[in-house]
Amino acid sequence: MTPSLGLRGWLRLPVLALASLSWSFVSATSHSFENTAIVRTVDLGGSLVHVTTTYAIRALDNGAQQYLVTLGEKEAHSTSWFEAKLKGQNEPLTIATRPLIPHDGTYAYIVDLPKPLGVNGTVNLVVESVLTHTTYPWPEKASQKDEQSLKYEGDLLVLSPYRTATQRIKVRAPAPRIISYTTPKGLDAFTTDNVATKSSATITYGPFSNIPPSASTAFIEEHQKHIVVHYYFEHPVVEITSLKRTAEISHWGANLNIQNDIDLHNAGPALKGHFARIEHQSQSYFNRLAPHIIPSLTFHLPPGIHSAYYYDLNGNVSTSRLRLTPSIPKAAQMKQYSTLELRPRYPLLGGWNYTFTLGWDSPLADSAGYDASTGLYVVSVPVQTVIPGAVVNQAEVKIILPEGATDIGVFPPFSPLAQERSTHITYLDTIGRPSVALSFENLTDKHNGLIYVTYKVPLSAHLQKPKAVSIAFGVLFLVAFLARRVDLSLSK
Amino acid sequence: MPKAYPLPTDLSPATVANTASLVRIVAFAFISGAAIASRLFAVINFESIIHEFDPWFNYRATRVLASKGFYEFWNWFDPTAWYPLGRVVGGTIYPGLMATSGVIYNLLHSLHLPVDIRNVCVLLAPGFSALTAWATYMFTKEMKDESAGLLAAAFIGIVPGYISRSVAGSYDNEAIAIFLLMFTFFLWIKAMKQGSALYGTLAAVFYFYMVAAWGGYAFITNMIPLHALALTLMGRFTNRLYVGYSSWYAIGTLASMQVPFVGFQPVRTSEHMGALGVFGLLQIVAFVELVRSHVSSKQFQQLLFSGVIAAGILGTLAIVGLTYNGSIAPWTGRFYSLWDTGYAKKYIPIIASVSEHQPTAWPSFFMDLHFLIFLFPAGVVLCFKQLRDEHVFVIIYALVASYFAGVMVRLMLTLTPIVCVSAAVALSSVFDTYIDPTEPEVSDGDKVDASKKDKSAATPASGASVVGLLTEMVTSGPSTTKKAKPTQRGIFGLDTRAAVIVNALGMLLFFVMHCTWVTSVAYSSPSVVLASHNQDGLQLIDDFREAYYWLRQNTPKDAVVMSWWDYGYQIAGMADRPTLVDNNTWNNTHIATVGKAMSSSEEVAYPILRKHDVDYVLVIFGGMIGYSGDDINKFLWMVRIAQGVWPDEIQEPRYFTPQGDYRVDDQASPTMKNSLMYKLSYYRFPELFGGGHAQDRVRGQMIAKPGPSLDYLDEAFTSENWIVRIYQVKKDDPLGRDLKSANAFDQGKKRKRTRPPVRRRSLA
Amino acid sequence: MLLPFFLLLALPAIVLAAKDSTHQRLVKLAAENNGVVKLDAKTFDLIISPQRDWSASIHFTALDKRRKCTPCREFEPSWVAVAKAWSKVLPSERDSHFFATIDFDDGQMVFQRMGLQSAPVVMNYPPATGPRKSANPDTPITHDFSYGFDPQPLAEQLSAFTPIPIPFRPPINWAKWGVGAFFTLSGVLAIRFLAPVLRNRWTWATITVLTSLVMTSGYMFTRIRGMPNTAPDGSWISPGFQSQYGQETVVVASLYGLLSASFLMLTLVAPLQTSPTRQRTQIYLWTGVVFILFSVLVSFFRVKNRGYPFKLLL
Repeated sequence: MTPSLGLRGWLRLPVLALASLSWSFVSATSHSFENTAIVRTVDLGGSLVHVTTTYAIRALDNGAQQYLVTLGEKEAHSTSWFEAKLKGQNEPLTIATRPLIPHDGTYAYIVDLPKPLGVNGTVNLVVESVLTHTTYPWPEKASQKDEQSLKYEGDLLVLSPYRTATQRIKVRAPAPRIISYTTPKGLDAFTTDNVATKSSATITYGPFSNIPPSASTAFIEEHQKHIVVHYYFEHPVVEITSLKRTAEISHWGANLNIQNDIDLHNAGPALKGHFARIEHQSQSYFNRLAPHIIPSLTFHLPPGIHSAYYYDLNGNVSTSRLRLTPSIPKAAQMKQYSTLELRPRYPLLGGWNYTFTLGWDSPLADSAGYDASTGLYVVSVPVQTVIPGAVVNQAEVKIILPEGATDIGVFPPFSPLAQERSTHITYLDTIGRPSVALSFENLTDKHNGLIYVTYKVPLSAHLQKPKAVSIAFGVLFLVAFLARRVDLSLSK
Repeated sequence: MPKAYPLPTDLSPATVANTASLVRIVAFAFISGAAIASRLFAVINFESIIHEFDPWFNYRATRVLASKGFYEFWNWFDPTAWYPLGRVVGGTIYPGLMATSGVIYNLLHSLHLPVDIRNVCVLLAPGFSALTAWATYMFTKEMKDESAGLLAAAFIGIVPGYISRSVAGSYDNEAIAIFLLMFTFFLWIKAMKQGSALYGTLAAVFYFYMVAAWGGYAFITNMIPLHALALTLMGRFTNRLYVGYSSWYAIGTLASMQVPFVGFQPVRTSEHMGALGVFGLLQIVAFVELVRSHVSSKQFQQLLFSGVIAAGILGTLAIVGLTYNGSIAPWTGRFYSLWDTGYAKKYIPIIASVSEHQPTAWPSFFMDLHFLIFLFPAGVVLCFKQLRDEHVFVIIYALVASYFAGVMVRLMLTLTPIVCVSAAVALSSVFDTYIDPTEPEVSDGDKVDASKKDKSAATPASGASVVGLLTEMVTSGPSTTKKAKPTQRGIFGLDTRAAVIVNALGMLLFFVMHCTWVTSVAYSSPSVVLASHNQDGLQLIDDFREAYYWLRQNTPKDAVVMSWWDYGYQIAGMADRPTLVDNNTWNNTHIATVGKAMSSSEEVAYPILRKHDVDYVLVIFGGMIGYSGDDINKFLWMVRIAQGVWPDEIQEPRYFTPQGDYRVDDQASPTMKNSLMYKLSYYRFPELFGGGHAQDRVRGQMIAKPGPSLDYLDEAFTSENWIVRIYQVKKDDPLGRDLKSANAFDQGKKRKRTRPPVRRRSLA
Repeated sequence: MLLPFFLLLALPAIVLAAKDSTHQRLVKLAAENNGVVKLDAKTFDLIISPQRDWSASIHFTALDKRRKCTPCREFEPSWVAVAKAWSKVLPSERDSHFFATIDFDDGQMVFQRMGLQSAPVVMNYPPATGPRKSANPDTPITHDFSYGFDPQPLAEQLSAFTPIPIPFRPPINWAKWGVGAFFTLSGVLAIRFLAPVLRNRWTWATITVLTSLVMTSGYMFTRIRGMPNTAPDGSWISPGFQSQYGQETVVVASLYGLLSASFLMLTLVAPLQTSPTRQRTQIYLWTGVVFILFSVLVSFFRVKNRGYPFKLLL
């Protein structure tokens, strides 16, 4: 609970303002670098594809500090997470610009290097990004017994506004059983020996050498290649089409209630034919469920939670197991979880949906802090509860503050699509509670940050509820009293 | 005058009165608490969920009311029910229940208490049970006094006969109807006693509420006139009766006609003619009384009297005549089947098929009323002893209700309140007698009389002693002896008092234990979720919701589901899909169509299914875990109902073995084996057992192997314990073949595919 | 050489003649035995001959004493009555539908061929040819006895197969009417003597109490379900919670009656007692009676409802 972390959010604002104008200035200096080597590793997965690109950079002139990482159009659109680090360090570099800047068929991130490089100064830049919706099941339908195979489609070459001495692209499938992959033609300009080689689960493209600055439509049209990899995938492809998270902060109950309305979808191959329970029972009896069936999900809930609930439109779902762990001191860094093994009412076969609501209470002290000097409360709310390998298409996180909270500040870990305020009225409220709603899209397992909310609550607001209740009862008694005492009958 | 035990004498009457009222209030709080708490077993054992079948419709309607507002609800046409006919919901229901919970819902929300509408619905019945206890208290107070009232309230609060229809979650009309019943009767008694038009109007208002809430309002419509008639015949006609009845009838009838579903019935159907007739009669009698008070001449009075008689007879004849020429509808079937008990089975099998329309065997009486059932006649006798006007009401009620309760299990509900009332009267008079400390002084005066009474009492044959008692009562007249010589009546000694009171208290205790047990065991399971006790404790069987939720999530919004009518409301409520038939069984033909489809072979059923755009067929099958309420056990009713409409296509005897018993194993008749229901229930069932015997756990019979095969339908979903099985109706074959041959062709191809390797091996 | 040709011409005529003759014969048989054709193996094949343009309701029975078929003998009179009613209609319709009876002893192989193990059975054969021919003439429609053996429902159901509804009138039950008339008359005459009894509240009290006792002890159940007074094997308690025998009604009703009577004794009679000792004995007596009878009732209930956990004395 260090607000300073949150303050990085503040720093970002001027940068955002600066972003729009910075392109021209950058492009002017865009020949100040050279990539001695680029290695890109594409880790194929279910709904997520992790891409790690390592740029070995050499500066061509003094004081160059802003390095441009460019992405092709499709790649840019499917990239939902982008992070740049220096090799061997884990403090991420500040990305000067987002939203990214379109230019000549490519999209660029401006990475601020920690210190300007001298001539021939080199540095190794590691860029991690996560792509969503770049794979799709193929064949599109699979029967209950069939295996599951996916196709990945993407561009081959790594684009860069700088010259690139050599670059190599590795595509790594989860299992060595790769059905097919494309061997692109017409790259003889950059390479002599064979373009693609497959060793066990990895396909290596390149090395390609002496690539001119490639961040331009001309180059893309001429040289950029489109590759397709068709591979077996052993795990279900989980997709959450919509996640609505409501975090309600209650000071009276010293309680933080978090409730998620989740629309689950099995994005694997659609079920061919029909669901036969007997097949399913025998499969699960012999523990040989087809990979595209989701019998249950495991959630890692925060420690110290209590009274968790799990229901859907038809009421309580009794088929789930929750293993609680006590809450841990705030300072402690070790990861502990309460694991919830959650079974839908029915096994989720390919293409099936399941909508449910999952919520729990946790002691407010675990995630809240109070700064006596400023009288500011700080509460941290996780953006989402990560399901490994799952993508969240639409997410809305709504944080409901105590009644009468003032000077509200919100510091999300990464910039939301939209952010709006409203008032939410619940039990025994008189004026209603201020609430903040942040909406995101394409959340991945990297998006597991905390949203920090700061606010003040005056004493009068604390006492609002008891006041209201006691007044109500007082009135009630008064009425009863009068009704007893006053005699309205005419006959005397 | 001697006392059995001392009483504090230094209390001012005011203190006593205040203490009494305080004690009453406290007692009342406890009674309400007990009434509500004992209905929460279902919520605690399971969850806050709507029970059974009809409540699901009420719940759905209430949701519409709560979300869309009253006018939307009022002219709500539900296209998904009775597909493709649809249903005008606003005009075909008693809206009282939904309106009530809608009002409560909006009230709570206006107070910033955002309660979920489901919880309002679930907890409505327990809440109203507390009100019922109060209404019963008021009613009984009119009969005897507060103490009897409190007893009656306690009884009705926890008696299983009423709990059975009002546990938390059984969100049905009866939940509020019993309160309205008792309160209307209470108001009527008030009106009749005081002759106040105000109470008469109030009675009418609550009568209107009752009409809007429950079809059983006809009970009130006939009870009150019956009471008035009886009083008139007993020569107890008074202007108070006249005022009370007239104001109730006039306002009540007009009000009741405002409910669309009732409409003009109050003047057009025989159920309501009694009230009208008595209304007319009272007018005539009142007129006669008036004239008699003014005219003196004897002959003229006689003339007038005969004229009145004639008028009465003419009126009756007129009603009868109107009934015959059809402008007054004769008794409706449901009502008529109460009198001619064989009627329903012959002409309306749907009504006969409902389990709660079966006659009642004595154990269910004892189960539902326990020791009240034998205190009840005693109370009636006590009512006869001091025969005030209101007691006549209790007597008639007792007579009528006990008959109805004998004929139909569900009418136990109407019997329960009066049993509680009169049992309370009996018990509280026991307490009065034995707690009252005044002892009579010993008088050896009338030994003979005493010995006579002693003998009569000592004879174990109660009949004789009762007769002796009765004669004694008749001679001594009602309740004059006490005032005449107060010392004559009373109990000697403490031990006798102790004995009787301890005995009575023991019974009360036993009653409480009984009620708790019955409620927790028999009446608190929402038939949506089943509980099974196995070695590791209680385990829930949630197949219904599993399957319904699957339908809801993974089928197109407009997919039509066909099932037997029992499950119509649940499918509409939980799966939110159109259904062919549901639990308001207004269209016999439509139900018979479903029955026919279920009970005829696939080839015959398929065109029916396609004609009704059926996409999914849902059957309930208990053979896997032994759930006995499944469709195979209801199958004969489907056959019967279908036979009623297509006697030449469906015949019940064909579904029996030649020996005439109902079997599902290899001896089952071919018609049975080919019926859709049989196939859908047992499709792939034998495979489940691999090599072993495929035993149906409900019927305890072995299913022949290989199990039935399907050509026109496809298994779409089967719930975890196989209770709910959903099948998809195949669309027409793209190549225009008929599906049977298409299916055969596919399987043939599969077989061919597997052949070649074999041949190759033989070559090598 | 022309002969075969003539024969050829004649053939249809012959067939027709044969058919007509069969029909005539059936009509005659029916006329002899007022409306019911008495069948044996041969005539059975005639009446269901594939060219029939008539319909037939055939009654399979075994009236012989040795067969011990009580239901057959119960059903016989209604069958005869309905057939007789049918024989009253105009010949034009009458002769297009036949009522026939075949006894087990006259056509055993017919029974075997039809695979009938039980009697009585009524099968309706729709016509195979002619205007009223049905879709599938060779599957007879078995009559459903679920409405009992009375002639009225029988006639109603069979009317579905006859060209016109069977004009069946149930014979007027003079005896019933007579009795009713007698009692009403005597009642009217005796009104002046009965008046005090009718005016006496205790008459009505007795009626009310007895009625409610009988009703609340399951009398209507036995009535509607037609339960016997005791089981065939003489046991008078029917197992199972949802059923009971007539005997139980009596026992339970009297238990209830005694219990409430003893309560009345305690409330009404005992206080009138003026000598302490007698009163004390009385009170203890009735309290004991209540307690004992109640425990008897509970144990009886335990017999009906096995799972019931509570018990008093026994």
